[in-house]
Amino acid sequence: MKLINKVLAVSAISLSLMPSIASADCGKARLADFDWSSANVHTAIVGFILEHGYGCDVEVTKGSTTPIMAAHYDSQLDIVTELWYDNIIANYDPVEEAGIIRNLGINTPDSQQAFYVDKTTADKYNLRTVMDMLDPEIAALFKDPENPAMGRMTSCISGWTCYTVNLVKQRVYGLDNYYTNFDPGSGGALDAAIAGAFAKNRPIFTYYWAPTGLMGKVDLVRLKEPPFNDACWAAMSQVVEAIKADGKDAYTPTCASEYRDMSLDKSVLTAWADTHPAETAFLEAYSLPTASVNALLAFYEDEADGDMELTALEYLENNSEWKSWMSADVAAKVSGAL
Amino acid sequence: MIRKLLTYLTFPIIFVWLLITSYSSSKRKPDSAMELLTDPSWLYDWPKWLDIPLMKWINDGFKVFNEEYGIYFEYVNNFLLGAILSLKKFLIMLPWPVVIGLVVAIVFFSSGRKVGTTIFVGFCTFFIGFLHPRFWDKAIETTSIMLIGIIICILIGIPLGISMSRSVRVRNAILPVLDLMQTIPSFCYLIPGIMLFGLGAVPAIIATVIYAVPPLVRLTDLGIRLVDTEVIEAAEAFGASDKQKLLGVQLPLALPNIMQGINQCTMMALAMVVIASMIGTRGLGDEVLLGLQQLNVGKATEAGLAIVLLAIVLDRITQAYGQKIQDRNTPPK
Repeated sequence: MKLINKVLAVSAISLSLMPSIASADCGKARLADFDWSSANVHTAIVGFILEHGYGCDVEVTKGSTTPIMAAHYDSQLDIVTELWYDNIIANYDPVEEAGIIRNLGINTPDSQQAFYVDKTTADKYNLRTVMDMLDPEIAALFKDPENPAMGRMTSCISGWTCYTVNLVKQRVYGLDNYYTNFDPGSGGALDAAIAGAFAKNRPIFTYYWAPTGLMGKVDLVRLKEPPFNDACWAAMSQVVEAIKADGKDAYTPTCASEYRDMSLDKSVLTAWADTHPAETAFLEAYSLPTASVNALLAFYEDEADGDMELTALEYLENNSEWKSWMSADVAAKVSGAL
Repeated sequence: MIRKLLTYLTFPIIFVWLLITSYSSSKRKPDSAMELLTDPSWLYDWPKWLDIPLMKWINDGFKVFNEEYGIYFEYVNNFLLGAILSLKKFLIMLPWPVVIGLVVAIVFFSSGRKVGTTIFVGFCTFFIGFLHPRFWDKAIETTSIMLIGIIICILIGIPLGISMSRSVRVRNAILPVLDLMQTIPSFCYLIPGIMLFGLGAVPAIIATVIYAVPPLVRLTDLGIRLVDTEVIEAAEAFGASDKQKLLGVQLPLALPNIMQGINQCTMMALAMVVIASMIGTRGLGDEVLLGLQQLNVGKATEAGLAIVLLAIVLDRITQAYGQKIQDRNTPPK
């Protein structure tokens, strides 16, 4: 397995994307990038600042999580701009303890998973929490055409854990009396269902997550649930596992709370950080609010047509918060390059 | 002659117009067109500005279309959904032995009282529920969606096939469209289908029709054209009108081919079942999908087998009926 990872990583590295501009100050900065848009956006912005502000020779390598992280653990990539830390704790922590890499803290404060309602409907009927949904008249707004007596809650994809989690949450909150737990079948279909409802100005009640490009294009209001609590989540997880194993009848009354908002982090090679204190300080300070990331993702997909540099320019030209992450002369250099 | 020249001229004009539009609408074009002459580097790699903005046209067009006419699609959606739901409700309401009995009766009479086929199909039907009790209702759900899909296919496919067989022009116009329908990846029309109709059975039916109707059209066209010219001449000699010729001679003689088309249509519709479940259609397909997403090979295979059994049942019914007509059409030796 390790060998395969290495081979994959090496072949990924040979596909460096960005042309580089040599400079004496900083030397090489090898950025890791992933095959999803939010990571692309962070890499584009960080890459632009490192290149034009610090004069680094930026190299970007793009790939999927396993080979890219393997290359990072193996000191082949200096900087990871978006780290889904919670998902890879078991692999990441030993390498960090060995002193090879360093977690540089949050890049986006929260990735969210929750139940959402479109803003128009939420404002009109004052829907703020999941409990506000417990009303036959509200349920009628979201009528399920295949089961007209109920409302439709477009849920997660059946077979994913979140589908069963949503099922349990519905039962605990009492939503199952009013709404179906509708499986959209695939991620693309869920996106299309949400986009379609907005195009036609139809009410929609759905499970969704952020940061995503679609979240930057549509106005969804997150419904409040009981706050996250470890003990409660553990109890619920047991019921979820039981249902996954034995079917819906295995449900037993339990506790339920909102999904935990995961923070996404940044990571850097210790060796690189030690020789690049100024750059590391910038990376440590770098953090974008989730809403900005959503907006940038929408821009990246629609306007920039997948052009990373254009997206980075869009952010840097229309915001100024980034100037506080670096010294004034570096900020001036970046501004000059815009 | 001049007309022909004019038609030939329109193509280069359209081509040049496309080139100019793509150049002028590109965000990545050089600062001035003169640069193209002085710097020939664009000849080595495909230049970024040489790009038809088709994506933008489709997106903008679809957006306007959805906003303006989306509401009409909801009417279609509600109508079709109503048809599926009532068919499903009726079939689920029946006790399962009655449904098996009905299938057996249909096979028995449509196959011309062949006992072997009838018993085989009866067992296949029984085994769908026997594989997993949950599959019975799911199979009925799948069948209702398919039946509605096939009815739409017949309503569209047979008239289209007839018109193709009667006019070379119509055939030349429709053939590339059929090619497109058969080869374009189904997700290209599934996703806009969801945006127009919402998640669930109706976009799946539309997708099924797009995917399954071409063989029916082709075989209807072929069947009618294959009817013996001597038979047609004989009919003409008796003074048959065009309508009489079509309804009395061509269609009955083409019926075995048309039945083959309906059979192919049914099989292709079943092939869409799993893909349809990826857009939230209930049925046997979502069992396969669930099995795959949970890495449960047994579950996926079990559901896959149920789809095969359903296919066998529907295939035998349509095949047997086609065979019966074929036997009737061939004169006894």
